[in-house]
Amino acid sequence: MAYRVHLENFEGPLDLLLYFIQRDQIDIYDIPIAHITAEYLSYLELMESLNLSVAGEFILLAATLMHIKARMLLPRAEPLEDEPIEDPRQELVRQLIEYQRFKEASEEFARLAENRRAHFPVGRTIDVEADGMGPGDYLQDVSLFQLVAVFKEVIDRMPSTAPLQISAEPIKLDDRIRIIQQAFGVANRITFLKVLQGVGQIQEVVVTFLAILELMRRGVIVVRQSAPFAEIYLQKTESDQ
Amino acid sequence: MTGPALEEEILQVTEVLLTASPEPLTQGRFNQSLQRDDVSLDEVAAVLMRRFEDQQRPVQIVAVAGGYQLVTRAEYEPYLKRLFHRAGKLGLTRAALETMAVVAYRQPVTRSEIEQVRGVNSDSVLRSLLEKELVAIKGRDEGVGRPLLYGTTQGFLQAFGLRTLGDMPKLKEISEIMGADETPTAVSHAAE
Repeated sequence: MAYRVHLENFEGPLDLLLYFIQRDQIDIYDIPIAHITAEYLSYLELMESLNLSVAGEFILLAATLMHIKARMLLPRAEPLEDEPIEDPRQELVRQLIEYQRFKEASEEFARLAENRRAHFPVGRTIDVEADGMGPGDYLQDVSLFQLVAVFKEVIDRMPSTAPLQISAEPIKLDDRIRIIQQAFGVANRITFLKVLQGVGQIQEVVVTFLAILELMRRGVIVVRQSAPFAEIYLQKTESDQ
Repeated sequence: MTGPALEEEILQVTEVLLTASPEPLTQGRFNQSLQRDDVSLDEVAAVLMRRFEDQQRPVQIVAVAGGYQLVTRAEYEPYLKRLFHRAGKLGLTRAALETMAVVAYRQPVTRSEIEQVRGVNSDSVLRSLLEKELVAIKGRDEGVGRPLLYGTTQGFLQAFGLRTLGDMPKLKEISEIMGADETPTAVSHAAE
């Protein structure tokens, strides 16, 4: 007869163990560890052969089972008269029973929710406009979690603006200042046009202009013009000579 | 409340309040509406419940989440279901129900305590319960790492039709669980 394994959806390793225990009508206080470990491991193998990822918790319990199995095989010292014999399975049994209690409770919860859902609430009045509601009343039942959820919603709803791109300035003001000062050479004054010679990009023009303004601010140069539309000269100030 | 029979007007007002309130009507809200605090909502609701019963009304008053709510009777669910998809339907998975149960009975409880009982990671399932507002963060444990403590909400009571946490079904005793499935071994032991 082909060996068939039920591939049910187990909630975890404890759930799987309980399934074996119930299926094979095993006394939970006297679990045949070798048998159950073999069953358990073959199930994990099946899961792996089906390419189902086996969660770490399943592996952990496999290790626990094998540990218990090993301890049961080891000879025990004769217990003293009143000393209770510690069963290596004890902790696992306690865990299984505890899990079973909550599993049953959760089934009860499912029934409760089902019953509740058979009743449709009648009231539909929104109480925001009710008299005598202070602002504090609205906040009564709002949890931090709700606030965060609302905040996220608001953020999500905000129109997304294309991020402003700020690229690093390719031409440095200080460099331009140095270039202007070099352009003077030994001369006392140079024309504005000469300074702008060979300046191609609009950005360079702007920075050059800024450099001139900066030099003026520092009092290194003055800018002179004899008449409107006439040549503009940059002239070194006396102090800088 | 002492005194003679409840005034008819109060009964009428209560019915109207229940009809209008989507959330369970609490004593506090009841007082706020009546502008007095000497009428017991429990008593009024009890009278109304009986009256609804006697009149065979298709709606009934239920005690839930610390208050009273007017709801349709369960036998009309098939008719309603054909028209209304339940908005906010619970849709809890087994994992969610298990986690819900552990939180409900063990609260305030940390995530690792939940995971100890269930034997599996419960992070995402806990998060979905938080989102559904069935579970809320109740504070932090004093222990190592001061982990978050979780507990149930008003929404939990409502979703499961419970008046208070005391209305939860009792967790079965270990002996009950062991005797539940097969013929109780305890009996056969006793017979020997």
